[in-house]
Amino acid sequence: MVLSTVVISRGGQESLRLARQRLGADVVVVPRGAVTGIEGALLLGNATNTYLPRGVVGNVQAVPGVAIASPQLYLTSMANSSCCSVSLMFMYAFDPATDFTIEPWLKEKLGHDLALGQAVGGSEVFAPDGNDKIKLYGYEFTLVGKLEPTGTNLDQTLFMTFPTAFEMERVSQTKAKMGLPVLESYVSSVMVKVNPGADRTQVAEAITKAIPEVQAVPAAELFGSYGTQISGVLRTLVVIVVLTVALSLALMAVVFWMSVHDRSRQIGVLRALGATQRVVLLAYMTEAALLALVGGLVGAVLATAAMYLFHDLLVSALGFTIMLPSLVSLVGLIVVGLIVALAVAAAAALVPALRASRQEPAVSMRE
Amino acid sequence: MTTAVSLRGVSKAYGGEGVRTFAALRDVDLDIEVNDFLVITGRSGCGKTTLLNIATGLATPTSGTVTVDGVEIWSVSDAERSGLRNRTMGFVFQFPSLLPGLSLEQNVMLPLEFSHEEHTDARPRAQELLDLVGLSHRMAALPRELSAGQQQRVVIARALINRPTLLLADEPSSDLDEETEAEIMEIFRRIHAEQALTIMMVTHARQLVAFGTRHLEMVDGAVRENPDHKGPARPA
Repeated sequence: MVLSTVVISRGGQESLRLARQRLGADVVVVPRGAVTGIEGALLLGNATNTYLPRGVVGNVQAVPGVAIASPQLYLTSMANSSCCSVSLMFMYAFDPATDFTIEPWLKEKLGHDLALGQAVGGSEVFAPDGNDKIKLYGYEFTLVGKLEPTGTNLDQTLFMTFPTAFEMERVSQTKAKMGLPVLESYVSSVMVKVNPGADRTQVAEAITKAIPEVQAVPAAELFGSYGTQISGVLRTLVVIVVLTVALSLALMAVVFWMSVHDRSRQIGVLRALGATQRVVLLAYMTEAALLALVGGLVGAVLATAAMYLFHDLLVSALGFTIMLPSLVSLVGLIVVGLIVALAVAAAAALVPALRASRQEPAVSMRE
Repeated sequence: MTTAVSLRGVSKAYGGEGVRTFAALRDVDLDIEVNDFLVITGRSGCGKTTLLNIATGLATPTSGTVTVDGVEIWSVSDAERSGLRNRTMGFVFQFPSLLPGLSLEQNVMLPLEFSHEEHTDARPRAQELLDLVGLSHRMAALPRELSAGQQQRVVIARALINRPTLLLADEPSSDLDEETEAEIMEIFRRIHAEQALTIMMVTHARQLVAFGTRHLEMVDGAVRENPDHKGPARPA
């Protein structure tokens, strides 16, 4: 329970941090009133049908304090259609001339820009049949690389340049069950880098004021509603964890009292044979520690398995994404969980163990 | 004669504030000499078991002093008292006292676990003692596989593993049939005669008095030596 709560809360916050980092922008410009929709698209892959006219990009670029304005376009694939080789793929098109999110990674990892027809995927994008081809809207992409995981929908996103997206739109008119709309006139959002020293909040306010159809959000505030949601879930989980630990403590104390009572005569016999108070105390505390370790390990294995097996279900139920921890972090969390289990077991066993060890042997044998 | 156990002015009262006090022992003075086979009889509730528990450090006296092997046992720490019990005393209880999860051999060797000395001859010694009580062929068996009389014989073997000087038995044959009782008492007689142990046995069965070199009667927490007792002579 403790492990699951920490993984969910930390994983949720971490995935938001990584998503913000992946977008790499200081300010995000979206259609007015569409902040939640764009957040849902980026985090959860929800389809978004709100677009901005492409001309807005120039207007944003003209606002004082803006260093770079780079447009992006978000699309989703068609589910269960013969024109798509994968179902429900989120697509993210960027302008290679102005992009500061994908381009630096491409230069570092691939050493070149994406050519027409090429794409890079999030960490969970796999080409079917083991090759590097993915077909969407009847257009075949070549997968040339993968990004680091974020725990968000960006991990299941295919990143491509605008020319490739336009080519997919052209091919879709003849080869897809339903053609894509004309894409060249629209963008989904504009990512903004501000000038060095410029205040991000002030620049965002200036953009919102200057362009009536847009809403500019400082990147640090993006996914704010999800952050609030995570905090709410975290508060609930903390209450549940506190209650669970308190109940476990009480239950274990009762179990240890019963155990001490049931074995009272045996304890008396051991004392008569020469066992000291310390030996009896240590025997009980060792038993409690072993029970806590075995129980803690079984719980940790079950919690970890549940986290990985039901990750998608959990994300869908909680309404926010969860970045699962790395192996090193997971081991660290399990160790912390075991320490908590040991502490709870020790607290529950201490009083019964002290009573058992300090009781007169003759009294123990009589009970 | 050397004194093995000495009690001076020992009293034990149960109860406390707001509860009626019950005197289980009243100002008992008693010396048990080395090689005595002391049989203590009396009606239920007269204080026999309390006397045995206080003499061995298993229960605290309300007043008085208890000396075992030259050590005033209520003036030393729990660890020292436990060590003294482990080194010098062996116990045979009225109730089944073998640990159910341990084999007979492990049960017999159990007191050695609480000793601070190294015992290289533990297994041969356990075998020898189980042989003494006629159960060396069942060393790997668990207690539940034995009858009550056989279990009590294993308890006697366990009581002797540390080569104690004092053997304490609390109603050792009360739950046994006459035949098994006779077998158990024969073992006591043999080890008293052959190993020169001091034995202190509590019983309500008057027919067992004949095994003792001395007989004490207890009435309402007071002890009285039976001057007419004619038992076997104390071994030299």
